Parts: sequence; structure tokens; C-alpha cells
Amino acid sequence: MQLRYVFTELRTGLRRNLSMHLAVILTLFVSLSLAGVGILIQREADLANKSLGNELKILVNLCIDDDPSNNPNCAGGEVTAEQQQRIETEVKANDEVASFRFVSKEEGFENAKESGAIPETAYTGPNPVVTVESWPAGYWVTLKNPEQADGIISALEGLDGVSVIKDERAALGQIFGIMKVLKYGSWIGSGFLLLAALLQVTNTIRLAALARRREIGIMRLVGASTLYIAFPFLLEALVTAIVGVGLAAGALAAFQYWGIEKGLAEHVQFLPWVDWGDYGESLYGWFPLGIVFLGPALTLIPTLLLTRKYVKV
Amino acid sequence: MSVIRFEKVTKRYAGPGKPALDQVSIDIDKGEFVYLVGTSGSGKSTALRLVLRELRPTTGRVHVAGKEINRMAGWKVPRLRRQIGTVFQDFRLLPNKTVSENVAFAQQVIGKSQREINKVVPETLELVGLKDKGDRMPDELSGGEQQRVAIARAFVNRPMILIADEPTGNLDPQTSVGIMNLLGDINQTGTTVVMATHDHGIVDQFTKRVIELEHGKVIRDEAAGSYGFQH
Ligand SMILES: Nc1ncnc2c1ncn2[C@@H]1O[C@H](COP(=O)(O)OP(=O)(O)OP(=O)(O)O)[C@@H](O)[C@H]1O
Ligand SMILES: [Mg+2]
Repeated sequence: MQLRYVFTELRTGLRRNLSMHLAVILTLFVSLSLAGVGILIQREADLANKSLGNELKILVNLCIDDDPSNNPNCAGGEVTAEQQQRIETEVKANDEVASFRFVSKEEGFENAKESGAIPETAYTGPNPVVTVESWPAGYWVTLKNPEQADGIISALEGLDGVSVIKDERAALGQIFGIMKVLKYGSWIGSGFLLLAALLQVTNTIRLAALARRREIGIMRLVGASTLYIAFPFLLEALVTAIVGVGLAAGALAAFQYWGIEKGLAEHVQFLPWVDWGDYGESLYGWFPLGIVFLGPALTLIPTLLLTRKYVKV
Repeated sequence: MSVIRFEKVTKRYAGPGKPALDQVSIDIDKGEFVYLVGTSGSGKSTALRLVLRELRPTTGRVHVAGKEINRMAGWKVPRLRRQIGTVFQDFRLLPNKTVSENVAFAQQVIGKSQREINKVVPETLELVGLKDKGDRMPDELSGGEQQRVAIARAFVNRPMILIADEPTGNLDPQTSVGIMNLLGDINQTGTTVVMATHDHGIVDQFTKRVIELEHGKVIRDEAAGSYGFQH
């Protein structure tokens, strides 16, 4: 097959149906961008999950000396070894609990500093407000079911040595809820647009096959192979896919740079944010499928199926 | 050696009604020139399309060049068609290509080299008597000349078989004679020619084997026949 023929065909093919091709490209562009944003949100949720814990967790703080909670459980001052033993036994025995982990004063303090939960000015300087001694030790308790925590909470509430039970399910649940809505929202939007792109591709091929039917008829008659006949269609499909993917990759890069790196990441520092590695995943990840695969699959597969139908020998 | 062989071929199109071909058996040897005659709807085009594997028989077998083509895998069909040139009543030229380009197209799309195309296309145009008209567009030619271009395109790959479905159907008698002479020349090179026609004058003037169909059945097969009386 002569290269010159291929490029001439491609040029006339693209020009013949320019408005349809542009429509396909724009639809692909928007839908793939949305799909990519969905992937980024999914990865953001994974990151947040790792650093904040998820909505399955509650935190049980133990008493410190002079506990600020004024909880009568803390009348005895700093939690004692026996009290802690008792608490741990209670946690172990409870069947709402999937697992738990003890977080020492030091670990808790470091985590809090790192994630920005306490401002730097509070623990630096000659007379810091917050110190390791004033930071409570505690248990991260992972629940089997985020809806069911009443049993463990009421079991621990009255125990000596338990200062506060931080039930973060509500707040975290909200954050994750928002991410879920955004993620599925962008995927559903993307899905509809991908469907629209699919229909447009189908239509484009139908029209192109119609415009070329005399030519295709002769090609079949003189014995051109199906692949040869389908090749210009496939090439057109590939070109529109590449342009659509390129535009979407650009839009996602802009979103990553201005939206995340120079936007959210600067203002909301207690959360880790998706980086360029995650951006790469949104382009060529396997699960969910990156847009570099999604775009061409979306144009090439229907083209292959349809040309088989229209070009059949 | 037979180039085309129908063995009790029946072709029934979708829907009710009689079959378009009914238990047809035909044997055509290499190098023969055969007319396929019969009233409109008698099944001539259907028979030709079976040879091209544009259709498959409902029952029976079609052999082309020793191969049973109705069972042939789809990907082998292009190779079959490269051995068959086809000409139609309505020429079917590409209007936006020149005469030369139209002929070259049949070579390009089966992957012939540009060098061969540059050599064979002018030769073929000369053969059909259009040596100086290679740069014309189809709409700048007469009907007879357009049919010559179509024949050049069908013959440019030197097929074993040339199939012509009413090639003179749109032409006046004088022009038809020219086309018949050309088909005769092509036949002289050893190419088997099968021509469906309604044209009494032609069949009676250029005496060849005649196969007559009626309601999808072969009712006559004469080595040197005439068109027949009552048609
Ligand atoms: N694609 C089709 N679908 C259904 N029936 C068809 C089809 N093509 C042809 N037929 C029927 O098959 C019969 C034979 O048709 P065919 O075209 O082979 O006749 P023909 O001898 O070539 O006629 P003509 O001289 O008018 O070209 C006719 O009755 C026709 O109506
Ligand atoms: Mg016919």
C-alpha cells in the first residue's frame, strides 16, 4: 500500500467530513477530560483515605494529666496501665470492632505535626503550647461497619482513662461522600458523552461509507482486501482519537497544575494531593482505563465493526 | 478444463416466490465466449453475481478456476475477484478521476507497484483504443468511450475471466459493435468472456455459444446460437 495513497485518502477523508470529525473530536475531548478528572478524584480519595483514615474509623483518646476534657473519667490524671489494660480488653471483646491500633503520644504528636493539624507556631519556640506530654495517646479503632459504632462507644464511654471518643465518621463521611459524588458525577457525565461520541463515530463512518460507496464497490469488485478498504476509515478514526486524547491530556494537565498544584494544594494543606504521577495514571493507567486507551478504543472498535458491515466482501 | 462450473445451482432470494435460479448446471471452458440471454428477470445477473461470490447459492455448487467458491473463506474472496474482471451496463467509473486514474485504481487497490502501473495502464488504454484520452475526465467521453474505460479497468490486471452484464445496454448499435470487437480481442488473448445481454442484433451478428435462461432454468445451450425468435 503506497504511503502517498494513504495520506491523500486521509486528507480527503478528513476534509470531506470536517464538521463531523470536529464534533467527534470535541465530544471525545470533553468526555475524556471528565473521565480523567474522575480518575484523579478516585486517586485523591485513596490518598485521603490513607492519611486521614476512612469513615470506618473512630479514635479513642486516653486521659492525660490535667485533661482538658474535664471528663470525670480523667479524675485520676494520666491514664494508668491498669485502666489502659481494661480499655484494650473492652475493645478486643467488642464485635463491632474489626481491628485496632494503639497510637502512642509520640506517634500521635508527630502525625499531627506532619499533617498540619496543629499549626507550627503552637509547637515551636521557647514555650510551646502543645508538647508531647500534653498530647494524648489513643486507639484507632476500625469498625466492621461504619453504621455500627454505638456498642463500642457506649462500652468505652464510662471507662476510667477514656478522655474523648472522636467519632470522625460524620466529618470524613462527608468528605468522602463529596469525592464519591464528584467521581461518579464525572464518570456518569463522561459515560453519556462517550456514548454520544460513539454514536457520532458511527454516523461519521456511515456517511463516509455512503460518500465513498461507488469507490468501495469498485475496490471490492477488483479484489481489494477488506483491510485495505477499511484502512482509511481506521486511520481517520485513529487521527480523531489522537487529537481528542491530546486535547483532553492538555486539559487535565491544566487542571492538575492550576486546579491542584497552584490551587487546592496551596490552600488545603492538611490533605495530601494528587501529583503528576497520578496525572500519568489518568492518562495510561490500566484500572480505571486511562484516556490514552479509552479514546482510540472508542473510535477504532466501532470503526472496525462498522466497516466490516459496510465493506463486507 | 472448465473455468466456471455450476452444479445444480439454486438461488432463492429472501421472501416468497420462485427461485431466481433453479437447478442450473453450466460448464464453461477456458477461453470460451458465452452469451447469457433470456427475458428480464430470468436470472442472468444472479448467475454472474454467483460467479463473483457476491451471492452464495441456496443449494448446489459454483466452481471458479477449479475451486468451489461457495465454501471459500471470506478473506480469500478478494483473491478470487482479482482473477475476474467485471463490466456493467452503467460503466461505474469514478467521476472525479481521469481515465488513466480510473484504470490505475484497479491496480493500486490490490497493491501493484507504481512502476508496473505506469507501464500497464498506457498499454491497456492503447488496447481499448483510448491511447490519447488518458487525461480526460469520464464526463468528457461518449458512452462508448466510457465503456471502453470500464473494460480497460476490468482487463488491466489480466484476469482469467471477464464478466459483462449488458455491456452494450446503454449504447447505440454502431458503438455496440465496437465494444463487441474489443471484447472479441480480449477473448482472443485467452480470457474467458461471459456476457449477459438483451441485444438480439449483437448475438446474431457475433455468433458464439448461447445459454438461454427462463424463469431461472436453462432452456437452451447452443455452441453457435442465435438470440432466438420469440424474445
Ligand atoms: N437482491 C434481490 N432480492 C430479491 N430478489 C431479487 C434480487 N435480485 C434479483 N431478484 C429477483 O431474482 C430474479 C432474477 O433477477 P436477475 O437480476 O438475475 O434477472 P436478469 O435476468 O438479470 O434480469 P434483467 O435482464 O432485467 O437484468 C428476478 O425475479 C428478480 O426480481
Ligand atoms: Mg440483470
